[in-house]
Amino acid sequence: MESSESGSVNGQRMEANSSRASGALTVGQHVDRVSGSAHEAWSRTRETVNELKDRFDLDGRVNRHPYGMVAAALGVGYVLGGGFFSPLTARIFRIGLRIGIRMAAIPFLENEIRGFADAVMAGHDGEGEGGEGSSSGEGKRSQSKGSKGGKR
Amino acid sequence: MEMTEQIEKTAREIEDRFRPQIEEAKKKVSDLNDRAVSYIKENPGKCLLGAVAAGYIIGRIARR
Repeated sequence: MESSESGSVNGQRMEANSSRASGALTVGQHVDRVSGSAHEAWSRTRETVNELKDRFDLDGRVNRHPYGMVAAALGVGYVLGGGFFSPLTARIFRIGLRIGIRMAAIPFLENEIRGFADAVMAGHDGEGEGGEGSSSGEGKRSQSKGSKGGKR
Repeated sequence: MEMTEQIEKTAREIEDRFRPQIEEAKKKVSDLNDRAVSYIKENPGKCLLGAVAAGYIIGRIARR
């Protein structure tokens, strides 16, 4: 009886040892696989980054416009982070639009006002020159004054 | 006339007093700019990736 019991215990131990050994092996294999795939992914990413660098001439662009490229990268990250359709973007866009409109509108309005002032001055000078020589100019002016007064 | 001269004199004094500090600040800002530009040129990948990451974080914060 004792011999049969000790035999069964030994058998169980052997099974446990063999399963542990096989478990350790599979864990090791898993680790190897994971590290291998991580290494592969890293090398692929590196290759892709290098390819992108070569294709878009990133180094040259960074050398030419360092701050511009950093700002562009910041913008790309912002869009990737999902900040494009956000209240902050709307506010920035509104402020930019306002500034842009002002910057575009001020020279336009300045030109318009200057043109209007020039036209008024030219008209005034023309009337003055016409009025000095002929009496009809004075008549017209007096007529216009009279009509204005009548309207009032 | 005396008033104008006095104002001019005061302005000149202020300018003389603050000119060295302004010049120093200008020099410091210029140095900082040069260093930043040279760093970006030396490490373009790091700077661009850092900027993308920073933008991503800002975008995530703005999204909330």
